[in-house]
Amino acid sequence: MTKFSEWFKDTFQKCYCDQGNLVNEKRFEEIVQLVLDDEADEESRRIFEEKIKNCVKSQTTFEKEKHLREKLRQKLSEHKTEMPENLIASIRKSIAQ
Amino acid sequence: MSENTQAEQKPKKANYSDQVKARIFDQEFMPHVNSMYNFAYRLTFDEDDAKDLVQDTYLKAFRFINSFDKGTNAKAWLFRILKNSFINEFRKKSKQPAKIDYNEVEQYYNSDDAGESITTDLRVETIQHMIGDEITGALNNIPVDFRTVIILSDLEGFTYEEMSKILDIPIGTVRSRLHRARNMMKEKLSVYAAEMGYNKKKDND
Repeated sequence: MTKFSEWFKDTFQKCYCDQGNLVNEKRFEEIVQLVLDDEADEESRRIFEEKIKNCVKSQTTFEKEKHLREKLRQKLSEHKTEMPENLIASIRKSIAQ
Repeated sequence: MSENTQAEQKPKKANYSDQVKARIFDQEFMPHVNSMYNFAYRLTFDEDDAKDLVQDTYLKAFRFINSFDKGTNAKAWLFRILKNSFINEFRKKSKQPAKIDYNEVEQYYNSDDAGESITTDLRVETIQHMIGDEITGALNNIPVDFRTVIILSDLEGFTYEEMSKILDIPIGTVRSRLHRARNMMKEKLSVYAAEMGYNKKKDND
């Protein structure tokens, strides 16, 4: 996976707490996605963790997305369709032919 | 894309004995049948079609078992075959033809202002009011290519790299499609929550 650390740093440079500008929210959302999907490399994750420690806005956005994601995943996982009882037998029958 | 999956097109790497084939099939392929069925059902919305799709996938997997490196990622290999079967064969004869022009959707969501137009304030509390049926309804209402990445990532736990191989798209596209798919789903849920008065219920609590 490509390293995102420069991209993370660049985004955070424009953050509310550092520069008096709002963080680029669209890019921040994508960064949060990479972190929550466990796709950020170690350095990027470290930069991100450092950022949310010191930035209320970033931390709030991250926590909200994290909880939303967990809740959606939980509800979707609970709502699974029962596999037909005869499916395994049908598969075995079809490959035996 | 050809009718066959890439797995089918690869030159044979192995020449397994019948005994080894049976062992691979039982120990590496069959444990994923439940996930495969749920994936198929979330693509087709029909129990019979999902069953046919899974059965067809396992038949192909068995037929081309020599292309599979035993001990590698069987789940991703099977999902790839199922996805290709769905696109190449099943979609054509589907009882529920695609109602949305995928290219149109992709173009729209790739446009620069797409991010601007999706501004949801979906709250965790709102989701807590909803039941699984309602969340699934929102997922089912987004175009299949976007729905697929959410299923693969959030329900089946595939990495971006695995999804890239299953879907035959670059990792960067996986990332952006997943981001858009999640925003689309949030948008659907926000609209639904507003219609059902879930936010109002919460405010009155």
